[in-house]
Amino acid sequence: MSTSSSTLRAGIRQAPRSGARLWKLQRSERLAGYGFIVPITVLFVLFVGWPIVFAIYLSFTRWSGFGAPNVIGLDNYTRMFSDPVAATAFGNTLLFAIVTTVLQTVIPLIIAVLLSNVWRGLSVVVRTILFIPGIISFVVSGVLWKLIYDPNLGTLNNLLKAIGLGALQQHWLSDPAVVLPSIIVVSLWGAVGMNMLIFFAGIQGVDPTYYEAAQVDGANRLQQFWYVTMPSLRVVTAIVISLNLMNGFKVFDLIYVMTAGGPNHASEVFGTYLYSLAFGSTAGSIPQLGYGSAFSVIVMLLCGVAVLVQIVLSRRASR
Amino acid sequence: MTALLSRAEPASSAVGAKAVRRRRFPVGRSFVAFILLAVAAFTIFPLIWLVLTSIRPANTVFGGSIWPTSVSLDAYAKAWSSTDFGLHFANSLWITLATVLGVVVFASLAGYAFAKLRFPFKNVIYVMLLATLMMPSTSLIIPLYLQLKSFGLLNSQVGLLVLYVSSSAPFSMFLMRAFFETLPDELVQAARIDGAGEFQIFWRIVLPLARPGLATVIIFQFLQTWNEFIYANTVLQNTEELPLQPVLFGLVGQYQTDWPTLCAGLTMSIVPVVLVYVWMQRQFVAGMTLGAVKN
Repeated sequence: MSTSSSTLRAGIRQAPRSGARLWKLQRSERLAGYGFIVPITVLFVLFVGWPIVFAIYLSFTRWSGFGAPNVIGLDNYTRMFSDPVAATAFGNTLLFAIVTTVLQTVIPLIIAVLLSNVWRGLSVVVRTILFIPGIISFVVSGVLWKLIYDPNLGTLNNLLKAIGLGALQQHWLSDPAVVLPSIIVVSLWGAVGMNMLIFFAGIQGVDPTYYEAAQVDGANRLQQFWYVTMPSLRVVTAIVISLNLMNGFKVFDLIYVMTAGGPNHASEVFGTYLYSLAFGSTAGSIPQLGYGSAFSVIVMLLCGVAVLVQIVLSRRASR
Repeated sequence: MTALLSRAEPASSAVGAKAVRRRRFPVGRSFVAFILLAVAAFTIFPLIWLVLTSIRPANTVFGGSIWPTSVSLDAYAKAWSSTDFGLHFANSLWITLATVLGVVVFASLAGYAFAKLRFPFKNVIYVMLLATLMMPSTSLIIPLYLQLKSFGLLNSQVGLLVLYVSSSAPFSMFLMRAFFETLPDELVQAARIDGAGEFQIFWRIVLPLARPGLATVIIFQFLQTWNEFIYANTVLQNTEELPLQPVLFGLVGQYQTDWPTLCAGLTMSIVPVVLVYVWMQRQFVAGMTLGAVKN
């Protein structure tokens, strides 16, 4: 399709520009082109492009929101190294992003492979169910799991007790050692369905003759997965990894709703920390818009890294 | 891209391939099915628990079995009346619908221009829009808050709406461009030779053919806007203007021990997204896959 249309387009371009009519046509096309993209471009410049520049500028200032920002150079960035909360947030953000990326890539991949090997009816039902948590907001899933995790009345601890595993009961969201894994489970619960669907679509696209050839060569199921399925899914895997990394680096809603970064910053990430710096977690604290913006810039850079990861992985895949 | 779409809906063409694979793995299929059902049960359990808790009489919530012995809808009545649920639900609904409309209009116009029209600097502008496609709202919340403040749009639903449209339109534009590119150029050229104006071509000829793309954008945008939290929680301060998500967040403190009311509120808030999901599931799944893979 693309070949035929490009030849036609080339034909039209090469045709003798015989008159005002064609010129007029192209002019109206140009005008329409600009006219059609004006709204989106204006909105983009005002509410995406300029804010990015403004965040970078603010990150070099000290500002409470009143008067003029005080330019202080790189102080906000050097301050991070002596700020224990920043160190915790850094560790937690990296840990959260990496652990969720691994779990939310490997588990959906396994489920997708299993799904493509069972009865179609069952596959449809399981896919539909697994996807439902993904359409629910982080506020709802955060509150819901907060109730489930409740140390005294929550279903999880009650359930553990009922099946004789009372020793495993935890203060899921108030014990600093357990809080981050507890939140990661909720993230996983919400993300499996979407990632599984992407892998499932990828598997449907693998040429079945590859499997036949592998079988003729005597490959068992595991070998077929490793030597046929996995190589065919490299680009898809790169996308899933990159999306998960990005979602991990920018995580805010889920943690804000479940713990607000607590207890005592044990689940603090960049997102929650910059939010509390700018909009205040404690009443009466002075907004630190400059220092908060420095973390905004770091999150942007980390998301840039996630995009780079995808480009590198897909390039290696196509080699 | 079209190939991907058909992959996402394993219909007739995939059946043959599946039959082959099925015969290859006859042993252990029941075991695999058992594992998958267990995973599905684990996944759905919290939601079933949510609904079951919301229909329990208030005095039977703590203790007793998971399955309620008697059913009561009191919690729904209480959640609806005592939190002004209807008002916030309506706020969410109009903000979401207006965002969807704005995004659909702007994204399809721009997507069409980038796919089918020729004009100078087209690629430069496109790459610029694309480069920041994934800009996280976490990173932009501070400058956007200040930006709205300087425009006098802080604490107004219009301000929130503007943020929603501008932050999601580029992604939808990207999806729409992908759909428009699958349509043949000859279509546009033929209409032009027949003397149709550019807008007329877009509106009368191209847009009706892009219905699957539009459906994807609409569903995707609806879910995203309905569920959005950080902007809504930051931009608006007047309680009566708030959409549902920040209100639900506030309910936690208010109904700390009244779990049925809390659960009834949560359940009511997910009805629209579940309806949209069920109603347009196929298109949604295809679109999500396309969007993700096209990135």
